[in-house]
Amino acid sequence: MKNYGFILLCAILLMASCKKDDSNQDKSDGKGYEVITDDHLSGTVLAVDAFPESIRKVFILNQGKMGSNGASLDILRTKDGNYVCGIFKKMNPDEGAGLGDVGNDIAVLGDEIWIVVNNSGIVDVISARNEREIAAITVPTPRCIAFDEKYAYVTSWAGASYGGSSNPKGRVYRIDIATKKVIDSVEVGHQPEGLAAYGGKLFVANSGGLTLPPDYSYDKDLSIIDTRTFTVSSTLEVAPNLQKVYSDGKGRIYVSTYCDYASINSALYAIDGKEPEEAVLLGEYASITAMHGGTVYCIGNKKELDWTADPEWTSWKCSGGVKSDWNPGFDSSVSPYSIGALSEDLFLIGDAGNYEEPGTVYCYSKGSKLWSVTSGVIPGAYAAW
Amino acid sequence: MVRNVRGNPRRIRSLVVLRAILTTVVLLFSLASAYGDEADTLRSSRVVSVKSYPVVKPAETVRLDDFPAPPEMVADVIRRFTGVQVKDYGGAGGLKTVNVRSLGSEHVGIFIDGIKIDNAQNMQVDLGRFSTRGISSVALYNSRKSSRMQTAAEYSAGASVHLDTDRPRHRDGCGGVFRLRGGSFASVNPSLQWDHELGPVTLRASAEFLYNNGKYKYPFFDTTLVRENGDIRSLRLETQLFAAPRGGDIRLRIYAYGSERGFPGPVIRRAMGFPLSAERQADQNFFVQGSWTQDWGERYSTALRLKYANDYIHYNTHPENNPMALPYDLHYRQQSAFLSLSQSVLIAESFAIDLAADVQRNSLDSDAGQFVTPRRTTANGALSARFSLEDFRAEANISYIGAWDRFKTPDAGGWSMKDSFRGAWMPSISVYAAPAKWLEADLFAKYTCRLPSFNDLYYSLIGNSALKPEYAAQFGADVSLSAETAHWNGILRLSPYYNRVTNKILAIPTASQFRWSMLNIGKADITGLDVKIENNFTAGQFNAQLTLRYTLQKALNLSDQESISWKNQLPYIPLHSGSADLTLGWRKWQLGWNTILNGKRWSNSANLDEFLLAPWSVTDISLSKTFSLKPFRGRSAPSEITVSANCNNIFNCRYEIVKGYPMPGVNAFLSVEYRL
Repeated sequence: MKNYGFILLCAILLMASCKKDDSNQDKSDGKGYEVITDDHLSGTVLAVDAFPESIRKVFILNQGKMGSNGASLDILRTKDGNYVCGIFKKMNPDEGAGLGDVGNDIAVLGDEIWIVVNNSGIVDVISARNEREIAAITVPTPRCIAFDEKYAYVTSWAGASYGGSSNPKGRVYRIDIATKKVIDSVEVGHQPEGLAAYGGKLFVANSGGLTLPPDYSYDKDLSIIDTRTFTVSSTLEVAPNLQKVYSDGKGRIYVSTYCDYASINSALYAIDGKEPEEAVLLGEYASITAMHGGTVYCIGNKKELDWTADPEWTSWKCSGGVKSDWNPGFDSSVSPYSIGALSEDLFLIGDAGNYEEPGTVYCYSKGSKLWSVTSGVIPGAYAAW
Repeated sequence: MVRNVRGNPRRIRSLVVLRAILTTVVLLFSLASAYGDEADTLRSSRVVSVKSYPVVKPAETVRLDDFPAPPEMVADVIRRFTGVQVKDYGGAGGLKTVNVRSLGSEHVGIFIDGIKIDNAQNMQVDLGRFSTRGISSVALYNSRKSSRMQTAAEYSAGASVHLDTDRPRHRDGCGGVFRLRGGSFASVNPSLQWDHELGPVTLRASAEFLYNNGKYKYPFFDTTLVRENGDIRSLRLETQLFAAPRGGDIRLRIYAYGSERGFPGPVIRRAMGFPLSAERQADQNFFVQGSWTQDWGERYSTALRLKYANDYIHYNTHPENNPMALPYDLHYRQQSAFLSLSQSVLIAESFAIDLAADVQRNSLDSDAGQFVTPRRTTANGALSARFSLEDFRAEANISYIGAWDRFKTPDAGGWSMKDSFRGAWMPSISVYAAPAKWLEADLFAKYTCRLPSFNDLYYSLIGNSALKPEYAAQFGADVSLSAETAHWNGILRLSPYYNRVTNKILAIPTASQFRWSMLNIGKADITGLDVKIENNFTAGQFNAQLTLRYTLQKALNLSDQESISWKNQLPYIPLHSGSADLTLGWRKWQLGWNTILNGKRWSNSANLDEFLLAPWSVTDISLSKTFSLKPFRGRSAPSEITVSANCNNIFNCRYEIVKGYPMPGVNAFLSVEYRL
């Protein structure tokens, strides 16, 4: 009941804020904090001249160290260039435990931001305007999120473990965007990660990263779900340890794979989204990827199979199924952990440092560094609104 | 993820230290030979036998008999000591490790009757598993236990905690203790111990069972929740044999411990209906250890020690009970075999040379995915020269550790010898002087290392087989002033110290206490001061002891000048901590009061407000009364019943020692002990 009232309150306040249309007058909801916008919160002021006008805010999701309840959300407000850390906690003081444990994925849907909090079992929906929580949806061990017109789809590692199998398969949960309720789920492969929707199909990457004895093998299959029947219609073998899936919106699906830490490098593959029959290798070294405007940007480490060696970073991009050069402009002092692609020549690169202390987000425009800023612990995913 | 600090300067520095040590040894030899000539004339007045005197005093030593109701776990005894941080994950089944002067718990050797408890898997000993039943004393040494005939492992430990058992003595040739304890958390804890003398041999058998449901309330923002899945059942069975042939001492201990426990997991935001954890672990720990110490005439003594340990762990996350669980169902078996020979040669009454040699074999096997099967053979040797007069004592020693590893990866069938050898020289010196009856002082300098653990080296995906040993250089002083009157005596001890840890490997548990994330902090600089005031009053049938302890510790992270954590305080090390212990005894009544204070500290190497952990203070009280009964039939010694009550955390302080692991509020226990 408390939640409904809260949603109602948020909805009313949201409507109010829509009418005022970005006026700087903040209003209090009576609890002593402003809720219409987060304009009253300031942080490090950064140069945002290179940012396209279409971007009002960039959301940076920090994973936090597992078990520390340390997932946090940062924002970069392009109106005044303020980079504000830990904004979820600041704007939701009544949600004492904060975002939760391990923030894994973030996506924009209209004026909503959907955040997948892996180890809390929560998909948190917040307002893009003021980061106030709209809904917290329960999904066990959620990993990644994608949308079609009516539904949100969330991959989950744990859904099938009730069966008592020693080698549990994961599931994809289907959430109604309007009601924010889980309405269905379907079993896919082992430890599903990224997913993308295109043309009535969902393409789900199965990693198999936790496959138990006696198999010890990564999953190689992409599960293809028919969204009308919400069943797995086919599977397509790609390569071991699938990670991210992107749709370029023009019928091409890109799938990235991690290395198997033994002999197979990370890579990017392309698949025909209309008739998914084979996966074509586009290039190796694609452990960190992001998509913007139909182009996939890849960063990889040529020494990824030998973790005692110093990394040797390489970067490239792929558009229309064609690989080409891309140099975001970072140097050897940066250890990339994540990319946020904001335009064709504006990128954020997250450096997780030692995965324990707060990380650093670097901004590159046209191949040169604009600035860097201290983020939360393990900056891992980005969304532009 | 793992950063190693390479650097030849350290090697050069260690050579300098080495040369200094060798010079000191030579000097001691010449001093000894000089005294040796005069020994006959001096013996009666100034020379005390180097055989019986340790060179330096322990930093802390407590006899468990002195407590009105001794703390149940060794960890609870140690946490009041100066310079010590006990990391406690809460509850009877929660991991408890001890860190001395911020060296890291891997540098602390825990010794039972002189033989080290070994854990090659993660180099840490869970002190929560050792009950105080059957242990006579707990002592902490910052420099080292500089008594004769120690194992080489004792010389190589950064700091050591000794759990010692006295040889049982009974007027009637046999006797025992039966105890029943219970209270909060539905805990039931019966134990018994029986000693029997059979001619020259004394046998002891003991058994202890513990059940604790681990449920306690803790605050979670606006609400109060109950800790779930923290229950434990454990059974300890032990037999010991003691014999004392002429000039010798023989001990044999067979130990078996089994437990089954839940790990309640860190407190995090979790969707309604999903438990925080369903992880459980079953352990079986078995060891047999023996020691034979023998004097061969006046001048030559030996100690032979051996141990075999077999530790089995079954860890299961029970995904069927927890949809949030990552499915793990793993079995580990760790074995170690240890053999040590120590020799002591008394060259003069005031001068002795000790030589110790240990060999050890460790193995770890598991069915974990991509498990790298490691084997380690360690050779450890120590040479020590000890010189002892009544008011001046000195010791110099050098030990060497060499470890050969080999491992088998699941993919590449055969054994790999990659990065197989690690070796280190570890010198130390200590000097003690008592210029006046009321003043004692000692100084020590010590350079030790700890080997990387199997987890550090070979843990799948996060292990790094190229890790080097982690080094600790320690410099400490101790000044002790004492005074006494007819009814009172008091001691003030001031112990400043400086430690530098280099090549530091930091392992911090992730969401599961069983898995570790690696952080190679590199370098830490620790400056501290321990202060301890002991008071003893006696007046007729009344006696009182008051011990106040305070530790100031600046433990700075010097790993990475570019980092946000540069010169920040190391995680979990408070700047200020202390404790107060008061024991009052009147006739057969005893009352104990213990308060522990812990200042603010950070859970992260970056000292930001968001990682700040609040200071805490916890007070425990205990009351006991002993009733003397008539001797049991046919016996001459009277039997006794002791009834004791403990109330822990009487002010119901809500606190966390480790972030995400709340500690219990007020709890109480009652115990009845029958001794005959």
